[in-house]
Amino acid sequence: MIKQPLLLSKVNVVYAIVVGVMAVLPFVLDSRTMTILLTQFCIFAILAMSYDILLGYTGIISFGHAMFFGIGAYTTAIMLSDYGPSIGIFAVSIVVGIVLSAIISVISGALTLRLKSHFYAMFTLAISGLFLVLAEKWRTVTKGNDGFTFRAPELFRERLYFYFLVLICLVVVFILLKRIVASPFGKVLVAIRENEQRTRSLGYKTLGYKIIASVIAGAVASLAGSLYAISLRFVNTSVMTMDITLDALMMTIIGGVGTLIGPIIGAGVIEFAQHYLSGLAREYPIFERWIIFFGILYILAVIFFPRGIVGTVSLRYHEWKLKKGQKTKASVKLREKEIQR
Amino acid sequence: MELLISLTINGLATGMLIFLLAAGLTLIFGLMDVLNFAHGGLFVWGAYTGVFTYAWSNSFLVGIIVAILTGLVLGFITEKLIIKPVYGNHVQQILITLGFMLVLQEMIKVVFGPNGVPVKVPSYLAGSWQIGDLTIIKYRIFIIVVGFALFGVLYFILNRTKIGLVVRAGVMNREMTQALGINIKRVFLIVFMCGAALAALGGMLMAPYSGVVYAEMGMEYAILGFIVVVIGGMGSFQGSLLAAILVGLAGSFMAYYVPFLSVAVNMILMASVLIFRPQGLFTVAKG
Repeated sequence: MIKQPLLLSKVNVVYAIVVGVMAVLPFVLDSRTMTILLTQFCIFAILAMSYDILLGYTGIISFGHAMFFGIGAYTTAIMLSDYGPSIGIFAVSIVVGIVLSAIISVISGALTLRLKSHFYAMFTLAISGLFLVLAEKWRTVTKGNDGFTFRAPELFRERLYFYFLVLICLVVVFILLKRIVASPFGKVLVAIRENEQRTRSLGYKTLGYKIIASVIAGAVASLAGSLYAISLRFVNTSVMTMDITLDALMMTIIGGVGTLIGPIIGAGVIEFAQHYLSGLAREYPIFERWIIFFGILYILAVIFFPRGIVGTVSLRYHEWKLKKGQKTKASVKLREKEIQR
Repeated sequence: MELLISLTINGLATGMLIFLLAAGLTLIFGLMDVLNFAHGGLFVWGAYTGVFTYAWSNSFLVGIIVAILTGLVLGFITEKLIIKPVYGNHVQQILITLGFMLVLQEMIKVVFGPNGVPVKVPSYLAGSWQIGDLTIIKYRIFIIVVGFALFGVLYFILNRTKIGLVVRAGVMNREMTQALGINIKRVFLIVFMCGAALAALGGMLMAPYSGVVYAEMGMEYAILGFIVVVIGGMGSFQGSLLAAILVGLAGSFMAYYVPFLSVAVNMILMASVLIFRPQGLFTVAKG
């Protein structure tokens, strides 16, 4: 387990500075493309964080995360186009999306989470495939593959305001999830990841914990989907595709599993790299298939850097501290581990 | 009556194709607890290489042979490069094979182009027989025959030969088999390559059946393969045949009688198996 550094206040100051910089960035850059890119980054950071609750903290692999994202996106889009573009409807649609996602999480979790991890991965893959087909076939509601445009609430038609909303959501979700993983409940999740049988023998009903973790992840992913729909003011079946799940997966793995800051960094890396690589694609057609590079990077990361960017950096940092003889909580832990060996 | 027969034939043909995919998956899983999410990638690579050599050489048989060879080679590469480094770690295995699936699928688009490729049924398998009101498409019968023949061959190998004995023993109890002096990893490599070749062959046979190959078909059929493996029981070879036929038949009948349920029918089957019999219809006695 990767411990956060001891001096929490120091870290918090850094976080506050980062958020401040991000809030000022659109004014400094003053470009529409950058504002949109930053908005996308925040949305996918929320999605990746929700994914990490499952993968990094509980050790559950879900291949159906796009489903929750898609449910959020479609709920918001459909409600806004049916009942008019007001902020109230938008807020209600977020809640509806979250509730729907929670119901589906509970069902699929209750069915498969008591079995081996393969089953949940397979089942979520299959059920999200089902939802994709549903979105394609249920044309009266979803307009199928063509999708439909809708009007966003007045306030959020201004890109900048919407960016602030997304940034606030990112911060709130980050703090909430941080509280959750630091709580006794979060500790049980980590215990399940490390050794489920032992956790169960300690008297925890692990199935319930796992289901709640999947509900939290699904709900947050649905929120990300709702925001995504507003950012595009358009929705089609691409929000339900495997690509979304893979994005979340790669962001989490490359950024660092088992931390919350890791997926955010991963989201940044992938969103910006994607942007520049598709720019390069105009000159070198091979970059149109940029996903291959990420795929290979991802495979290498799974084999060689299973901790991702954040995990590897923090490990190196603590090793370095250890060498210098400085004691932090984490470096003491490292030393204990070395002695045990 | 005619309708029932032709629906049954459709279902059986689809079921056989899924079986080719699922047979490898289930044995790979049974032997080493590896769930290969890249299996669909092998399926689609078999389809594409086979289709292109078929178009180039004008011989369906050459296409099939090339597809099988592709499967063997890719199976070897996958096992050595992708499965081996993370052997024993479930989470990493699932993650890495899915990543490889993605790479395989995108590589298809780079090598063969992003658009679907139409495929014709070879002349000697094209057309249909007319019996009264009943139209039987020859190529479907061909698939069913090939599927059952392959099942027979595999069944014979698994139950009557030395290597089959080793594989079955490995599925039942890996440690014990190893303790008896059998290099289970080499057996696993062979099974993995054969499973990959079966998937590739399935892809190639699929191509004229659906009339078009496209990069995403790997994932679509892999999902069906997973459903079959869950229903049939992970590690059970016979189970995968039965479940594949069940899924194929359910799909074809539902598509005709209750079209709106046809998408969901496989999920319903899988969910009910998971609720009432999570170990699958057939279970392998794990000792």
